[in-house]
This record gives sequence, structure tokens and C-alpha cells, in this order.
Amino acid sequence: MMAVEGVVKRFGAHTVLDGVSLTVAPGEVVTILGSSGSGKSTLIRCINGLEALDGGRITVDGLDVSDPRQLARARRLSATVFQMFNLYPHMTVLRNITLAPELVLRRPRDEVEAQAHALLASVGLAGKADSYPGQLSGGQRQRVGICRALAMNPRYLLLDEVTSALDPEMTAEVLAILGKLAARQSGGGGTTMLFVTHEVEFARRISTRIVFLDQGRLIVDLPTDQFFAADGGLAHPRIRQFLSKMAPAAPLAEIPA
Amino acid sequence: MPFDLTVLTPHLDTLLAGALLTAEVCALGIVGAFTLATALGLLAVGRGWAGRLARLYVDVFRNVPFVVQVFFLFYGLPEVGVYIDAFWTGVLALGLVGGAYGSDVVRSGILAIEPGVVEAAKVSGLSRLAIIRRVVLPIALRTAIRPLGSVFVNLVLSSSILSMITLDEVTGTARGVASETYRPFEVYAFLLAAYAGLTYAVSLGIDALHRRLNRHMAENGAAPGATHGVMGRTA
Repeated sequence: MMAVEGVVKRFGAHTVLDGVSLTVAPGEVVTILGSSGSGKSTLIRCINGLEALDGGRITVDGLDVSDPRQLARARRLSATVFQMFNLYPHMTVLRNITLAPELVLRRPRDEVEAQAHALLASVGLAGKADSYPGQLSGGQRQRVGICRALAMNPRYLLLDEVTSALDPEMTAEVLAILGKLAARQSGGGGTTMLFVTHEVEFARRISTRIVFLDQGRLIVDLPTDQFFAADGGLAHPRIRQFLSKMAPAAPLAEIPA
Repeated sequence: MPFDLTVLTPHLDTLLAGALLTAEVCALGIVGAFTLATALGLLAVGRGWAGRLARLYVDVFRNVPFVVQVFFLFYGLPEVGVYIDAFWTGVLALGLVGGAYGSDVVRSGILAIEPGVVEAAKVSGLSRLAIIRRVVLPIALRTAIRPLGSVFVNLVLSSSILSMITLDEVTGTARGVASETYRPFEVYAFLLAAYAGLTYAVSLGIDALHRRLNRHMAENGAAPGATHGVMGRTA
């Protein structure tokens, strides 16, 4: 279980996270919604130890991420997919995927490479193992980013606006893969996902729970169907406002020229 | 007196031996400079005392004339019981000063790495050492190799000063031959060509290395303008 307890994070005088608490149990797919600057990405960066906390506590399966020793162990349990892909530009796609499993998990190279090839095939990139990131499109890079994360066999998968840098077509490619991943979760025993996104419709389809961050505070934490119910999340004016702005399939006629 | 290169024939062996010595002292100096530049560059991005010390070293060695450093090493150190011969003094001096200039290049190569790439390595659980060895240095050196080449070319040029500590490298040899033959024009023409040849060889080598290392780096490598400290405190 990932447990975020009263986390405070400040950048200078600006409080980005103001007492956020959240738990993610195994098997859940939890989506964090909220407008830009609400602290969603910062929360993810606190969980994987990229930002030091100014208050509160975060544990991953009981490991406190503020303690360097425990953080090192916690990082073997989770994997992160980034908005800007962050692939290693000087390594082949295959090496991008196998590096950490080999060095951190100390798994044998052939076993890891076999898994990497299987993962690449599952995201439609079977022929790209020997390519370099610079030779791939954005959507392909992000699919490699997902493979790199999955090769760690993570118990928890953190996804930080993974489609925000992609055009709609590439976004669809990546979401299709994440959709499959999430569907696998319902069987149980799979990867738990914590998902920061602006793709509201997609979140609605794959999430078991949705939380809403507003100005560094977590104002709503509800099962997906209740979040979108008129007497649930939608009863909250801030969320109603957010969702009306985000409505993805707004007919062209409604958009002022 | 017409330009007549044949006057050099009797001294060709001496001159070529000088050129070879220059090449040797420079090659070893470049190896030392590269090693020191990499180590100092890595240290200099840090915020702790090691970083401050590395930056102080760079400032000191860049702000003292090379000839003074050479004199200090060759004539000063024996006063306190440290004797190093002219050749190894040359290698040491070139390594020390080249390391100072080169470290700045390596440092900016490190600072230009897209911070997210290093963050990806951190969250995957790689150790600090593995991140430096597998991610930070390979990317930084790919950016840094060309400007490092300029530093190395400058080292070859600076090596002429080593003639002042009795090293029979090519400049010192040429001066001897010029005063012996009274044909400075031919002798120094040879010297010009020798340095041009040596530095050109360094440039060619660097270019080839740069092309080889960067053949797959279409984009997504070093982010221009990225100034974050990549080895930040939240390891």
C-alpha cells in the first residue's frame, strides 16, 4: 500500500501541497485530477522521492521515502512513466529497458532482454529494440517509457501526465496500452496504478477511484462512479467547473470562434 | 638567401625527435587533462565543500600563467625536496592546467543534461555511482567532446613553453637548429608546419570521436538552457 499522510511541500513561499493524504491499495487504479499547478505532479515526485517533503510522511509498503535507505528499497517496488519520456538518449531502446532490471534488480541479462522484447512486442514496437530514442516518434518513445517501467515488474506504477506531450493520435496509442494494463488489474495481483492525467474520459473508464487536487489540497476522494455522480463529486462547485472546462468532446458549435 | 629546405636535412633527425617528444608529452598531458577534467567537472556541479574546492582549483589554475606554473613545478618544488624530471614536469603541468580548463567544459556538459533523464535514472533505483557512470558522464562527454578538443589543441600550443625547462621538445630544438644554421626562416617554417600538423591531428581525432559518439543522438539529448543541478540533494 502507498500511504500519503498529511504531506506538505513548499517551493519558496509557495505551498504546493498543503496537507495531502491519500492511500492507494494494491489492485487499485487511482487517478489524480486537477488543474495545472494544483500539485498533481509534485505529489508523484514526492512519492518517488524526487522531492523532499516539508511535512507529513509517505510510505510505500511501509518504507518511508524520506529515509534514503528505505527510499532505495521503495524505488524497487514502484516505477514511474514521465510526461517528457526521459529516455536515456545514448542507449538503444533495448538498453533503456534492461538497464535498471539488470543493475538494480540484478536479474540475468538474457532473461531481462527476453522480457524487454516481449514488452516491446506487446506495445507494437517489436522491430525497434535496436533503435535509439532520437529515431522514434513521441508516441513510440512513451511506449518505450512504459516498457522501461514495466520491466521493473513494479508493484506500483506512477504515471505523470504521460500523454500531455503527445498529439491526439499518439495519445490514443498510449492510452490504448494503458487501458489494457488497467484492465489486467481487475484480475488482481497486477500492478497498482497512480495516474496523473488531463484525460478525464479515459480516467473515468479505467480508474477505480478518482481524487481531485485543488491548490495543493485534496478536496475529493471518491470511487469513480460516485465522482461523476450529480450528488457525488459533481456536487462540488470546483469540480463541476473543472469538468465543464475539460469536456473533451465539446461540439465545435459550442466553442466561440 | 632563397627558401631552401635542404639546409634542414642534416638536422632533420633532431627536429623530428623534438616533434616526437612534443607529441609524447602532449599525448600524456591530454590523457591527464581529460581524467582530471572529468573528475573536477563532476565534483564542481556539487554543492558541498568538494564542489567549492573543485571550483577553487579551476579558478587558481586558470588565473596563473602557464609558464609560472611550469617554473614553480620545475624550479620551485626541488627546494622542498620534490624532484620531477623535465618530461614528467611537462606532462604534469599540461595535465593540471588542461584539467582546469576542461573541467569547466565537462561541468557545463553535465549541467546541460535534461534533468528528467537523470530523474528517470534515480527513480529506477540506480545507485549514485551507476547514474554517473551509465547516464551522466556518457551524455555529458558527448556534448563536451568538441569543446574539450579546443582545450587539447591549446595544450599542444602551450607545450612550446616547456622548452624553457630544458625539455628538448620541438620548439626548443628548433631554436637550437636556427642558431646553429643561421636559417631561421626554414627552421621556423618547419616548426609552424609541425604544430599545425600536431593540432590538426588532435582536431581530426576529436571530430571522429564526436561523430562516432553522437551518431544516434538526433535530439532529446542535452537540453539547451537547462541549468538545474542534476545531482541535486534529493538523491
